[in-house]
Amino acid sequence: MTEINAIDMEVFNNRLLSITDEVMNTLIRSSFSTNIKERKDASVAIFDKKGRLICQALYIPMLLSGVMGGVETLLKTRKLEDIREGDVFICNDVYLAGGSHNNDIAIITPVFIDDKIEYFIGNIGHHSDVGGVIPGSTDHILTSVFAEGIRIPHVRIVREGQLDEDLLYMIAHNTRDPMERILDLKVQIAANSQGAESLRKLSSGHGLARVQKSMADLLTYTERRMRQRLQELPNGEYRSIAWTDDEGVPGPRKKICLTVRILDGDLTLDFEGTDTQAKGAINMGQYPLLAAAFCGINMMVDPSIPANFGMFQPVRINAPVGTILNPKFPAAIGNREYTAQRVVRAITLAFAQVLPRDRAVAPSADINTGMAFYGMRKSGEPFVYVETVAGGVGATLHKDGMHGTQVGTTNTSNTPAESLEIEFPLIVREYGLATDTVGPGRTQGGAAIIRDIGSLVDGVSVSTKADGKKSPAPGIFGGGDGGRSSLEYHRADGEVEELEMFVVDRIMAKGDAVRLISPGGAGFGPPEERSRTEVNCSVRDGFISRGFADEHYPESASRAAAQ
Amino acid sequence: MAQKQFRVGVDVGGTFTDLSLIDEDTGEVYNFKTPSTPHDPSEAIENGLKQVIAAGVDPATIAHFGHGTTVATNMIIERKGTLTGLITTKGFRDTLEIARQQRPHLYDYSIHRPAPLVERWLRLEIAERFTADGDEIIPLDEDAVRAAAAKFREAGVAAVAVCFVHAYRFDGHEKRAGEILQQELPNVPISLSSDVQPEFREFERFSTTVMNSYLTPKMAGYLDRLMRRTQALGIRAVPHTVHSNGGLMSMDTAKAYPVRTCLSGPAAGVVGSAQVTLAAGFPNAVTFDVGGTSTDVSLILNGRGAYTPLREVAGYPVRCPMVDVHVIGAGGGSIAWVDDAGALKAGPHSAGAVPGPVGYMLGGTEPTITDANLHMGRLNPVALLNGAMPVDQAAAKGAIADIAAKIGASADETADGILRIAVANMARAIRSISVERGCDLKDFALVAFGGAGPLHATFVADEVGIPTVLVPEAPGTMCARGVLLSDVSRSFVKSHVIALSEESWGEVLKEAARLTAEAEEWLVSEGVPDQLRQYIRVIEARYIGQNFEVRVEADTDDKEAFIRAFYHVNDDVYGYHVEDRDIEIVNARVEAIGKIANPLEEPPVVTSTVEDATLGTRSVHMGDDNGGWTEAVVFDRARLPVDATISGPAIIEELTATTVLPATWTARVDNWRNIILTRKRLDA
Repeated sequence: MTEINAIDMEVFNNRLLSITDEVMNTLIRSSFSTNIKERKDASVAIFDKKGRLICQALYIPMLLSGVMGGVETLLKTRKLEDIREGDVFICNDVYLAGGSHNNDIAIITPVFIDDKIEYFIGNIGHHSDVGGVIPGSTDHILTSVFAEGIRIPHVRIVREGQLDEDLLYMIAHNTRDPMERILDLKVQIAANSQGAESLRKLSSGHGLARVQKSMADLLTYTERRMRQRLQELPNGEYRSIAWTDDEGVPGPRKKICLTVRILDGDLTLDFEGTDTQAKGAINMGQYPLLAAAFCGINMMVDPSIPANFGMFQPVRINAPVGTILNPKFPAAIGNREYTAQRVVRAITLAFAQVLPRDRAVAPSADINTGMAFYGMRKSGEPFVYVETVAGGVGATLHKDGMHGTQVGTTNTSNTPAESLEIEFPLIVREYGLATDTVGPGRTQGGAAIIRDIGSLVDGVSVSTKADGKKSPAPGIFGGGDGGRSSLEYHRADGEVEELEMFVVDRIMAKGDAVRLISPGGAGFGPPEERSRTEVNCSVRDGFISRGFADEHYPESASRAAAQ
Repeated sequence: MAQKQFRVGVDVGGTFTDLSLIDEDTGEVYNFKTPSTPHDPSEAIENGLKQVIAAGVDPATIAHFGHGTTVATNMIIERKGTLTGLITTKGFRDTLEIARQQRPHLYDYSIHRPAPLVERWLRLEIAERFTADGDEIIPLDEDAVRAAAAKFREAGVAAVAVCFVHAYRFDGHEKRAGEILQQELPNVPISLSSDVQPEFREFERFSTTVMNSYLTPKMAGYLDRLMRRTQALGIRAVPHTVHSNGGLMSMDTAKAYPVRTCLSGPAAGVVGSAQVTLAAGFPNAVTFDVGGTSTDVSLILNGRGAYTPLREVAGYPVRCPMVDVHVIGAGGGSIAWVDDAGALKAGPHSAGAVPGPVGYMLGGTEPTITDANLHMGRLNPVALLNGAMPVDQAAAKGAIADIAAKIGASADETADGILRIAVANMARAIRSISVERGCDLKDFALVAFGGAGPLHATFVADEVGIPTVLVPEAPGTMCARGVLLSDVSRSFVKSHVIALSEESWGEVLKEAARLTAEAEEWLVSEGVPDQLRQYIRVIEARYIGQNFEVRVEADTDDKEAFIRAFYHVNDDVYGYHVEDRDIEIVNARVEAIGKIANPLEEPPVVTSTVEDATLGTRSVHMGDDNGGWTEAVVFDRARLPVDATISGPAIIEELTATTVLPATWTARVDNWRNIILTRKRLDA
């Protein structure tokens, strides 16, 4: 076993994280688009010369593998000796460049020291539009990656220090807001240069060998830590199944089959048996699957393990070709996050069978609910407003799940009602927690969210997509399922229409409203073990009705009645 | 000749309450320290004031009394505020609970957002609604407000918040609901969101307003007790309280808006540092306040503390201008430990004041950053506090040796390593705040205070590339001194989100004028004389489509000049501006300032010499990168005269702090008696 220098490792890890922080901050500070600047839908990572991930700044788990896919595939497709000092690569393509989806554009900068590549630094940002059929570029109903906007394999955007303005212009004008693309891409390139300079300074100040030894130690340490956590779990095979609600377009549910194999500190996630690829855009490429898998693994095995190459080492992932988790070109992949959430669910369910009880987590809403409104502002300018709606979180042994919270591969913020009402001719009629959506149990799942949005004018178009109506969060250890999602259309005249979770471009009249209820979190343990006081508190607080309490907690209710 | 007058500044900390007394004639500053009394912090203040009086100060000559307090913050952290009720617009009772629908930790689901300060059954919905344009689409259901009042009365609610959607601009319903509640619940304080913080974005405004309610009754009780105690001592000056952005508020304002005191303590430290560094010739500085459990860092830009309009207090967002202090869990008491896969960490767990570091002999058994400093000889190996507090260096060394065995390194390497890790942590925080604002640290000074700031300052400066370190006088009582240097101030704001045009610019100017009138009324009520009143007009604006606004100080009525200023701020903050995107106004803001603080006064002359100040030498480990063990000259700061210069390796000891100079640093005492440390080689 390699001996690590614990002191240098920690000091240099901090210094390296300082560099990723710095690049991330520059990205956030200097970018123009809301997505990067405010939603922090971006990530920064440093790699060694072999392309091994060393450290990363990350706010959204889905982006874990974003830059990594770009770097690893770059090293497979290009010879190092063909890369010149000052070259910078751009890429986004899932099939050619280890991408996540077309909106996530990565910029990769090889870092030269004494004429040799010693590191790579990369960042990735979600660009709100990269062209294609639909504004915003991704939509679950798309059926080909060619419809999802511009595809970029690894190409040099900077050659030996010279920005390729022509290429930048070409990319930008394949999107709906070229100025914003140009600004943000330039910021991505500049942020990397700053990080590269910091890496060079670090290496010249402390010696390249010492920095690289510390990096190697960090990987050794992380792998050792991951293996130790896995060795604490009993060897065996643990199976689970999770379902999507459809295939992006209306159609059959898709099954995700998972076998978790743990053997002496090695972990295999085998997705053999998973359904064939979807027609719509909910397929997942190799690297997004890796991000989803590690979102689940980190949750279950070691929530604070440093994200680097060492963490991946004990883990093998098998996803058969032609399935929703490894689709054949040119399947659409833009909305891979729907499926990613179901992958996380499958992992949670499998690990519930092997983890000590106090570390298991019941499944959550596991959705990526989208509501999109298109229309005209008062000024006559068109607007697009997209909202993601969270749901209930699964319960744990000692705690009820959080209400109305993003889970799994996403963690994006909501839009304040006041902000959106100032900007768009819409009104938030209700934004709250839905009664009787918690998964009952010894500990309860978190409550789902109601988001009810009306239009103040004629002609606004609404589209929605949410899973969780057909596949609610399943309770564990005797706990009940979380509430199912639902969608209602409220017409101005008072008529209410129940809809499937799937609305495409419905035109709203003035006074109409769309009311979405997301799924709730699942319960943990048998409901009869919940105390009367806790049941009464939930009733008093209105999270559950008396009727729900009587139905799901009859023990507690009868005990209460007996008092 | 006028009678001798004194001003008193107080900082109530977790362990100690510090008092700084300045003689207005001579400029002489005296410091006092007394143990804090968390059950009623005003008791410690009284004890401290008794010390001041016992030292010969006539209480009647105390002309001004200001204090920084953690009463509000502690009430939130410990959740010991008042049973609070909320009434809100139908459809929004869960705004507090959903927050921004984000989870605090990406993968650890056992970490939850804190539960709302008002339980769900006390969050009552009322039919009422304005649109964003001010159309009253649902009138206020006054009967429902009365019914809510009845419910609150029955539940024993002692404070009520009223938070309606779009009330930042259309406050009619909130005001009416407030009147009804006041009639129905005459003894219950009511906080209106349109009054506490009239800025749009409902979650943050509601959170701030509810926190204000939650704090009001007990904060008022505390301030009343404080007032009684000071009056009983014969002090006629009415206590002022430092708000989170480093200005002072009267009793009445502090009672009405206790939420504005959440960062009271750190804010005073930043104000003090800003004055001290500006006077010393360093308008740009990084504050570096290292205490027992944490390190606070913040930026001073052009002589003013950088502020933030929004931050979290114990997980709850508070929207009001606050010093932008970044806190990390690394301080003198932070524990060094080795995890099961072999990594060495420093913090975030702390041994605190009790059991404390091993070397303090108060029962601590786990090695801390302080123990590493004792091992290295950087802290006096015999006793601290000028000899008053004996330490056990051997015990500290023993604890370090235990860690050394676990990681297979020597004890010296380990102690050095623990400190290097702590320094790397602190450095990361400093880099982070400076890069966020696009600052180049080469142009900054590090102002080190708190008990352990000067101990680590040169090492942190080396790590981040800051060329100068400033250690103010009595660095352990910087916050109390800051109180003495604070002006009366308050920010008045109104959200009005509107695209910039000739017409809207006129409206914005009118809004600003209304705010200025409001601000003037307030300054009058605070008793600030006309010639000391000052107003800063700020317009917050953004590009249309963005959600983040920048702060533009605009003393001009000319729209084009404002646009140029907006571009200029964008250049400063983001590194560029874009000319062909439309601009949107978000807030008008007026900062009202009453310039009551005395300027910093030059301290009296010390007549001793550098030789007098030399205590001897001791063996100090300056770090493997600085030559390891070296013989360092030890100085007594109190006896160092102005212009004294010292070359490292050296140690400068004083009552509450120790400054360390590796061989690459020199020190000079400036006219203000600050120690100015400079790196010898700029390439180091």
